Amino acid sequence: MKRIIKASILAALFASASSTAMAVERGGILHYGRYADSIFLDPVFADSNVDIWILTNLYDTLLLPTDDGKGVRPGLASAWQLSPDSKTVTLTLRDGLFFSDGSPITAEDVKWSLDRARKPGNGLWGPDVESIDTITIADPKTIVLALKHPDPAILASLTVYNTAVVPEKILEALPGANDEEKAKVFSRHPVVSGPFMLDSWSRGTVMKLVANPHYWQKGSDGKPLPYLDGIDFEIIPDDATRILKLQAGELDGAELIPFPRVAELQADPKLDLKLFPSTRTSYITVSVRPQLSVGSPNPLSNDKVRQALNFAVDKDALVQIVTHGIGTPTSSFLSSATALHVGKGAVFPFDLAKAKTLLTEAGYPNGFATSIFVLAGSQDENTIAAALQQMWAAIGVKLDIQQVDNATRVAHYNKGDFSMRVGFWTDDTPDPSEAASYMAYYPHIQSLHTGWKNDEVDRLFTQSQSEIDPVARAAEYAQIQKIYNATAPLIFLYETPYAVALRKPVKGFNQIPLGINIFVGVSLEK
Amino acid sequence: MTAVPTSGAAADPRRRRPAIGLIAGLVILGLSLLTAFLPGLVAPHDPLSFDYKAILHGPSLVHPFGTDNFGRDMLSRVIWAYRIDMQIAVFTTLFPILFGTMVGALVGFYDGIAAQIFGRIVDAVITFPFIVLVIAIVAVLGPGLGNMYIAVGMVGWVFYARLIAAEMRVQMRLDYAAAGRVLGYGDVRIIVRHLLPNAIGPVLVYWMTDMALSILLGSALGYLGLGARPPAAEWGVLIADGKNFMTTAWWMTIFPGVAIVLTGLGFSLLGDAVAELLRPRR
Amino acid sequence: MLSLRDLLNRMLQIIPTLIMIMAAVFIIVRLLPGDPASAILGDRGSAEDVARINTQLGLDQPIPVQFLYFVDRVLHGDLGTSITLGVPVAQLILERLPVTLLLTAMAALLAVVAAIPLAFLAAIRRGRGVDLTIGAFFQVGLSMPVFYTGIVFLTIFGAGLRWFPIGGYGDGLGEHLYHLFLPALTLAFSLSAVLMRNLRASIIDVLNADYVDFARSKGLAPRLVLLRHVLRNALVSTVTLFGLSVGTLVGGAVITETVFAVPGVGRLMIESIYGRDYPVVQGLAMTLAVVVSLVFLLVDIVQAMLDPRVSR
Repeated sequence: MKRIIKASILAALFASASSTAMAVERGGILHYGRYADSIFLDPVFADSNVDIWILTNLYDTLLLPTDDGKGVRPGLASAWQLSPDSKTVTLTLRDGLFFSDGSPITAEDVKWSLDRARKPGNGLWGPDVESIDTITIADPKTIVLALKHPDPAILASLTVYNTAVVPEKILEALPGANDEEKAKVFSRHPVVSGPFMLDSWSRGTVMKLVANPHYWQKGSDGKPLPYLDGIDFEIIPDDATRILKLQAGELDGAELIPFPRVAELQADPKLDLKLFPSTRTSYITVSVRPQLSVGSPNPLSNDKVRQALNFAVDKDALVQIVTHGIGTPTSSFLSSATALHVGKGAVFPFDLAKAKTLLTEAGYPNGFATSIFVLAGSQDENTIAAALQQMWAAIGVKLDIQQVDNATRVAHYNKGDFSMRVGFWTDDTPDPSEAASYMAYYPHIQSLHTGWKNDEVDRLFTQSQSEIDPVARAAEYAQIQKIYNATAPLIFLYETPYAVALRKPVKGFNQIPLGINIFVGVSLEK
Repeated sequence: MTAVPTSGAAADPRRRRPAIGLIAGLVILGLSLLTAFLPGLVAPHDPLSFDYKAILHGPSLVHPFGTDNFGRDMLSRVIWAYRIDMQIAVFTTLFPILFGTMVGALVGFYDGIAAQIFGRIVDAVITFPFIVLVIAIVAVLGPGLGNMYIAVGMVGWVFYARLIAAEMRVQMRLDYAAAGRVLGYGDVRIIVRHLLPNAIGPVLVYWMTDMALSILLGSALGYLGLGARPPAAEWGVLIADGKNFMTTAWWMTIFPGVAIVLTGLGFSLLGDAVAELLRPRR
Repeated sequence: MLSLRDLLNRMLQIIPTLIMIMAAVFIIVRLLPGDPASAILGDRGSAEDVARINTQLGLDQPIPVQFLYFVDRVLHGDLGTSITLGVPVAQLILERLPVTLLLTAMAALLAVVAAIPLAFLAAIRRGRGVDLTIGAFFQVGLSMPVFYTGIVFLTIFGAGLRWFPIGGYGDGLGEHLYHLFLPALTLAFSLSAVLMRNLRASIIDVLNADYVDFARSKGLAPRLVLLRHVLRNALVSTVTLFGLSVGTLVGGAVITETVFAVPGVGRLMIESIYGRDYPVVQGLAMTLAVVVSLVFLLVDIVQAMLDPRVSR
């Protein structure tokens, strides 16, 4: 079982690389089943995975992430250059770039798009490009970014959807008092720079994309990409229905295959089950504040207590129960697919005796009672919580499972008014700074709202943000991970790949570790 | 369709069937209640203990109903669920039927301002999609069975109220109600002694259905994560938990399903029998 | 029969009902823990982001003030704009409501078509094999959770026999009806069970009543007795129950629409409650209340037609 899975992860890794070498069929509509519809198709203002995981099929960025999600390659910019002091980025625009309406993509559009992306208050992703000081157009093909400080992540940031290029003239001409209102109008019938454009959209049912005839990239046959005529994103919220529809041949692909179904679909000769390597980690966020909201002392504020809870989790059993052997225990707070990740094996290997000792040292020889928020109706979260409840009972910790809906949980969580909650993380940028800033760096969002604050980590992170020596930066990240993992503001669980099922004739699909679905190289064999 | 039984020919099955139905219904529900009170005596295993070596095992001698994705014994979980589900059936419907019948009888009997206001409240509650209202209330109060009882209680009574009010109006046009008035009986006596016994039939039948339905509502809420709290076993939650395993581990969904059907059958048989007994003898 | 005056009176009664619902929903959604900003921003939002968005939405004002603004807009025919989707609520409802109405109507029709003849058969053959078989069949229908029935139907009639598409809604009325058949059947399965059981009990009641014996003794043909007296009288309580079930049916649509990927208002309602999309929840509740009220009115009219004794 395990070996098959490992093999298919490898296969998935190489699939997108090798598919371009073969002769490809052109044409056809890909029917792809999604669990939820997109909400807002604007690269700057979109903020949920249902949007950002498909946005780059509509909007192209200056640079593109590599297939492993760790590096960058040319996009709308055919070349880039970093000045020796790393304070200036010079980008060269490709020749013959057009928006989907046939108008040329100019350096002005690029500058305007970046300015819109970094304007404070515009969307959640602005901090990504916070280091940009000024943007100048040196000539119609050359854009120069002057940075406030050296930024080791700047190239990575230029692959993120929020820096995608949109048509300045069209957006400026739209009604609306601010960028967001204009974006709302724009995103209903967007003029795009990516391989596909929006054809029609009945919310909650189907979103139809068609090939952008003006797209710049060429396929392996020398003709413009994409190979497909279009994509129908069909919204099938129920997992069982989505899979049934795929098995019946009414869909060509389906996302978010629940792990209990993976082995079954792997055995289906008509299907190609992909387990794409991902940056997705699962964990329990723990509030480490000295007092709970009710005013009583918080046992979880004690490092030893959290370490004990970590040691008491039987990771292998958990991986079996929740992911059916598909996941692996996390070895750091950064996923193993994230650049500069350090770690091997579980952060806290299962050790009940050690857990008991630590708990006794912390002054809780008989355990204590605590609670966890799980998302109502989420099978995964409930399974995790039920398993932990049972595992922690062995060291006398009584876990009360509180099912709540998302908005309720977020409201409590953002106020720091919680004991524990189940959490998931996926990187959105091909650089570890995003995960580190949210999870470990207190000033951003109080280290995932845990209230965990470590001055050394904060200092190292700030330093790493302008560290241009890759070796020094790696050392800083190693140190951050060492401190963070040891004091354990999280209960570390496991990391899992993305499970996608495709019909056999579908070739060239890729979901990179950042979760982004890439359809530009997809073809349908006859 | 053509052969309408004459009174004589139909007499026998009419007498016999309620007896059989009543006995069958009582036996099923009696056993269910017994299981609900003493699950520990019947269940072969601890319903909560994991067995990582027996994850998703099919039915066998050790685990007659198989095991779930935690390796928990399904038979024991189905048995322990009796406790929660019988509670759900009774507690979610008890307040609604008592309060609803009372309000419905009054609204059906009197035509004053109070009845008008009650009528509007009933309309307002019924008009709003039931499950959505329950979800909203449970979301405000927090998931869990206690809050589900409160939520269903707050809205469930109107069904009974409307049903009985409509029946009452029909009965009031009949001769005996008028006769009661002519004889100078008080309102209460007319309602309780004359109208209610005749109007209550459909309500009792609906009550039995409602008990089965409330188990299903528990399951729907379980599906949405608003029902019984884990790790407690409840049939609806068990079925919802088994949803991803329908193709690979059918026993996780089928056996709790059978338990729901069987219990529902018990309620229905009893309902029919009660309706039969209440039917005016001639 | 209902007079025109009664009819108008009933229609006027809908107004206070609507006002009550409007106020109740307005308050309930705001009582829910969490707020639209938290729902939109998710885990990564900061406290400032939340405050900024809530101010933008006018949610920092006292609830009575918000309510007055809301009433004022509704009176001007404006239901507001969806917070999450950025689309006018009226447009969303216009897109989604017909789907659910069609689904519910089909389910109701299927349920009635199945329930009436079978209830008759069961009542007449009371206590015999046919009755027991019908009873058992509907008992199963009554006891199966909707999401389970849905998947079973999809597996058998969709993936297995290929008679119906697996989920979705299609384009054009013909395809809509085709796509909605299985979800409607799923909904009808439990509704018809409720109706059948009630109708069967009523028919037995009526068969026992004096006037049926009287009609029989008058020498009316059995078929005529059944049609003219039994069905008519037995339907009275069934019609009430049917009316009652409409609200439940719309509620049941919540899960059915999810399982069958049907873009109706049930799904929209749940998503909007979870997303704290106040304007959508309010607009939908109002619209559904109007629809269900109209169904009730219709039920009252039908009932008055069936049973002259209930005129009031």
